[in-house]
Amino acid sequence: MPPSSQTPVTYSELVACHECDTVHRIPALAPGGTARCSCCGAMLVRNPKGGLERPIALNLAALVLLLAANVFPFLTLEISGRDQSTTIVGASWALYEAGMAPLALVVLITTLIGPALLVISSLYVLLGVRSALPLPMLREMLAWISHLRPWGMLDVFMLGVLVSSVKLAGMADMVMGPALYAFGALLLVSAAAMSALEPHILWQRLGLPGNRPRAR
Amino acid sequence: MRARDLGLASCHTCGLLMRLPAAGHAHCPRCGATVHMRVPNSIGTTWALLSAAMIMYLPANLLPVMATTWLGNTQADTIMSGVVYLLHHDWPLAVIVFVASVLVPLLKMIALLYLLISVQRHSPLRKAQRARLYRVTELVGRWSMVDVFVVSLMAALVQVGALATIEPGGGALAFAAVVILTMLAAMSFDARLIWDQHGERYGLVEPTR
Repeated sequence: MPPSSQTPVTYSELVACHECDTVHRIPALAPGGTARCSCCGAMLVRNPKGGLERPIALNLAALVLLLAANVFPFLTLEISGRDQSTTIVGASWALYEAGMAPLALVVLITTLIGPALLVISSLYVLLGVRSALPLPMLREMLAWISHLRPWGMLDVFMLGVLVSSVKLAGMADMVMGPALYAFGALLLVSAAAMSALEPHILWQRLGLPGNRPRAR
Repeated sequence: MRARDLGLASCHTCGLLMRLPAAGHAHCPRCGATVHMRVPNSIGTTWALLSAAMIMYLPANLLPVMATTWLGNTQADTIMSGVVYLLHHDWPLAVIVFVASVLVPLLKMIALLYLLISVQRHSPLRKAQRARLYRVTELVGRWSMVDVFVVSLMAALVQVGALATIEPGGGALAFAAVVILTMLAAMSFDARLIWDQHGERYGLVEPTR
């Protein structure tokens, strides 16, 4: 046992598989390399190509596309001379107006708030680590990124767009708005941004806090 | 060699490996999260979330997800009748939607049920396959959300006064609840329990050394 029970002894050169608990020494990975668990095959650590610069660039691009995808009309429906446009927020708003506030919130979080927070917090952490500035909440934000990831559902939303347009094709003419193209690009860029950012690398770069007091 | 056998635990948030003090839990010095040997009460939480999802699965499939009013006629659609409609217009898409919104939630719940029961019975069988099953389960669940997005998009687009309107139905709410509850259930399930030997008590902290 360590002399102080407050701060446990840590082993930053080792990693335990998060699925089967087998301990491995963290290997030195070439850029683009992936280490898998020798026991169950789960991914242990990755070393994405492009260092910190590539995810920064991709997340900046995603931020611009996210703005474009939300500002312009997404889809326009023409029924006997009358136009009805919607944006991504509009899809959520329709649910709210129909008295389904909880569902509206779910749609808003998975299509806008989640992806937006993911991009912004990724940029914050990446720039903070790269510049080595002691930005506040850096560790909290990095922890947050891993929890946020499953709740961004841009790809699922895109499939929903496809299904809706097939269903509505018999009823009216659909016009694709500029936001739909921005959204398609956002889909690809944000997927690339996510695979370019490996939290493990950032945690290792951050290391243990120098003399940060940690209560209890 | 497994971390538990060495008396080590890894932080669930940042992955840092550490020796747990006698209290059985610690604050991760790197990210500040609370670290336990295993996710506390993983089995109980997963059971609770899974049961809730299974209950919600009934209204999700029985209640209409949306009501279409077209030239004065109103037609209510459930998840399944939406799939049947697509089948007549674009069958590859119908297959995708059927898999995503009918098959995936059902198989996901069955998979979690099987994982829970096999872990509780300390089954030594097919650990690698069960681990793979868990990995797939965690990955595909979010795609079931597609029908909720379809309903919200169509409700937003088809609001042309008396001519045509689409209103979301209660089924959509129940369906979103199933997706979210199964996602939370998969997250609360600690896959390392699959590999724990009989006699190691899950959720508890004393390292066997």
